Amino acid sequence: MTDTAQALVGDGYKYGFVTDIESDTAPPGLNEDTVRFVSAQKGEPEWLLEWRLGAYRRWQKMTEPKWANVQFPPIDYQAASYYSAPKQKAGPKSLDEVDPELLKTYAKLGIPLHERAALAGVAVDAVFDSVSVATTFKDKLGELGIIFCSFGEAVREHGELVKQYLGSVVPQGDNFYSALNSAVFSDGSFVYVPPGVRCPMELSTYFRINAAKTGQFERTLVIADKGAYVSYLEGCTAPQRDENQLHAAVVELIALDDAQIKYSTVQNWYPGDAEGKGGIYNFVTKRGACRGARSKISWTQVETGSAITWKYPGCLLEGDDSVGEFYSVAVTNNRQQADTGTKMIHLGRNTRSTIISKGISAGKGQNTYRGLVRVQPKAANARNYTQCDSLLIGDRCGAHTVPYIEVRNPSATVEHEATTSKISEDQMFYCRSRGLSQEDALGLIVNGFCKEVLKELPMEFAVEAQKLLSVSLEGSVG
Amino acid sequence: MAVKTEAAPYLEAFRPDASEPAWLADARRKALAAFGERGFPTRREEAWRFTSLRPLADKSFKPGRGKLELKSAALPNGVWFASMARTLAERPEIARRAINESDLAGGQPFASLNAALFGDGFVFALDEGVTLDDPMEIVHSAAEGSINLRNLIVLAPNSRATVVETYRGKGAYWTNTVTSVSVGASASLTHVKVQDEGSEAIHFGMVRATLAPLAAYRNFGLTLGANLSRQDVQVAHGDGSNADVSGAYLQRGDQDTTTAVVIDHAAPNATTHELFKGVLDDRAHGAFLGTIRVREGAQKTDAKQTSRALLLGDRASVDTKPELEILADDVKCAHGAAVGDLDPAMLFYLRARGIGENEARRMLIEAFVLDAIEAVEQPELRNHLASLVHDWLEAGR
Repeated sequence: MTDTAQALVGDGYKYGFVTDIESDTAPPGLNEDTVRFVSAQKGEPEWLLEWRLGAYRRWQKMTEPKWANVQFPPIDYQAASYYSAPKQKAGPKSLDEVDPELLKTYAKLGIPLHERAALAGVAVDAVFDSVSVATTFKDKLGELGIIFCSFGEAVREHGELVKQYLGSVVPQGDNFYSALNSAVFSDGSFVYVPPGVRCPMELSTYFRINAAKTGQFERTLVIADKGAYVSYLEGCTAPQRDENQLHAAVVELIALDDAQIKYSTVQNWYPGDAEGKGGIYNFVTKRGACRGARSKISWTQVETGSAITWKYPGCLLEGDDSVGEFYSVAVTNNRQQADTGTKMIHLGRNTRSTIISKGISAGKGQNTYRGLVRVQPKAANARNYTQCDSLLIGDRCGAHTVPYIEVRNPSATVEHEATTSKISEDQMFYCRSRGLSQEDALGLIVNGFCKEVLKELPMEFAVEAQKLLSVSLEGSVG
Repeated sequence: MAVKTEAAPYLEAFRPDASEPAWLADARRKALAAFGERGFPTRREEAWRFTSLRPLADKSFKPGRGKLELKSAALPNGVWFASMARTLAERPEIARRAINESDLAGGQPFASLNAALFGDGFVFALDEGVTLDDPMEIVHSAAEGSINLRNLIVLAPNSRATVVETYRGKGAYWTNTVTSVSVGASASLTHVKVQDEGSEAIHFGMVRATLAPLAAYRNFGLTLGANLSRQDVQVAHGDGSNADVSGAYLQRGDQDTTTAVVIDHAAPNATTHELFKGVLDDRAHGAFLGTIRVREGAQKTDAKQTSRALLLGDRASVDTKPELEILADDVKCAHGAAVGDLDPAMLFYLRARGIGENEARRMLIEAFVLDAIEAVEQPELRNHLASLVHDWLEAGR
């Protein structure tokens, strides 16, 4: 590795600062009392506490999934603290009342939370550790009847909606990590777009794990009522720490008749250092239900961070003529491991799905695409197209493709293509001979490889994603 | 040690033969113990998730015996082509190669059961530099019971041959074959198997092939018969070796078949080509599991896998899992999988030329399957396979 490259790697994770801020943290450990504590801290109604306890009891009977192509030492679930809330004077009325330390953190992260939010046209629901700090543009959205608030607030003010939809896509006992999340989830975002309303701006949440030894268990619920449209952005970062932190989120999307949800994620959790020390375990359950006819859910993800990623955003295509899409770029460098992909379950007639996955492995990274396309007997004329491409940079990394295709209806058409290749010397030579540095040439080629996915991202995210890709791969050639 | 219930009847059927060599008796005992402990695989196991073993578990087959015929043209010196029983008696040093560690380990339960109970099989060994133009033919027919066959094909360096196995029969029986294949340096083997078992039969076949540097191995499987069948092909590459593993499965009624191929690129410069075609009518179920593994250091690997299935029946279904595991960077690997019905544009083209709907469909299905048969180089053999496919389609009229 060249000195410059070395310097860049050392510089790699520029979000690795810790904000020194007082926080209310639950003592470590997990039992029914912890669940009650979390629920009580948030002043939740009885039904939600019962729901959490139900999830906790199921979780106790479950074991961690072992099928993913990732290796990590056993997690001690009793050693973590399950609640961490920044201490602040009750209920900030405006941004001015928000702790300036917090705002500084966001400024460092580059989130357009304050006036910049207006310029960027982004409404941000920022989750600082576990409690949603400030939600901008609420009033403006309110005029259209759009609800965009923290999960806690939604429970207080729109309890019926939450009760109706919570767990309807990802049931409590869906899997080990979703059950854990259902028991102890701290906060998250809630979106409801009423019938026929097109949300005029991109809604955005920026997640950030700050406190040491806390897991982040956020819960996101997005509902697009009949004919509604919403585009939702999610970005994630975490401070640089030696110990591993667990992030087990659950995201549920519900699209009714003719509704559309576009969900974009740029995940840049701390990946650990070059030797694999520290980093986030990102074990996330994301699923959308195209419940209505002609509804559409589109997932776009750029996964550059985390020590381990375990994530399969999927679509249940229940409504006739509904559409599911999955666009993904996953990068593993150094000792990162990613096992990610999607599930497209075709249930309704004339349902369509598209999967485009780009995996990039460098250093000693291990990158697995794991996907399921299932066409159930009643899904007449279902259509799927899948393309999985892997790019290998260096001879010590791995790229794996594990697609499952299960077809139960003869009128279905399912196509799957996968390729694996390395960056060709010709491409490198071409760029280098035109005066590009090794790093720039790599960035250019990788961005070209990912173009089909990056073009699906909203503009401001696409720019960030391109930069992230280059930063993540610094030092992997030369 | 606990013995699984479903394994018990087979353990009880074990009758050691005092005349057998000590190494074999020892291996049989170890393999049997491994099977007893392991029992039948379940659908919770990744390699068996698409294969329901209910038809096998519902019955417990008594040991049976089939009829094994070996046919060949006059053979030159340097060729051994005989039954396993005869080979054990006359050339035990060759027969010994038919059993390996994986039989004793228990990871492949039906291979372990086979090692413990096999009664016969065929052995084909070719000395260095011997080349044979005419195919060696093995025909096995069965009627009842469980029949375990242990086969062995060994080609010394620079030799060349073709082997055609055919399995048929009538009645409810279970054939379980394990074939060890070793292709020496620069040797070339064409290995064809026709599974045309009776409609109530169960057929499991496993092929384990080891390729030396620059060896060429062509494996083609045509699956037509049996109520439940499974074909496993495992190939371990040598430096610069070449494997073509292809096949076609045509199933109707309640037939259920699984094809599982694992290609291991542990050495550099090797190439793999796979093409599988499936035709599933009525309520038939087909599964294809294909793994291509490229280990660290297996640079310049070139591997391509394609699997395509046609679903004709309203309740036909297919499961496909094409898997790539790649740990080297200077490789070219690709897989493609497709499931669907016949292309309406093609049908229209034929109809527009005055060909009836049914005839047009049959022509297109036949062409779809023949595409895979192209992998077989010998024209007579290719014609033989094509006529079997044609007969299958005619039988469905």
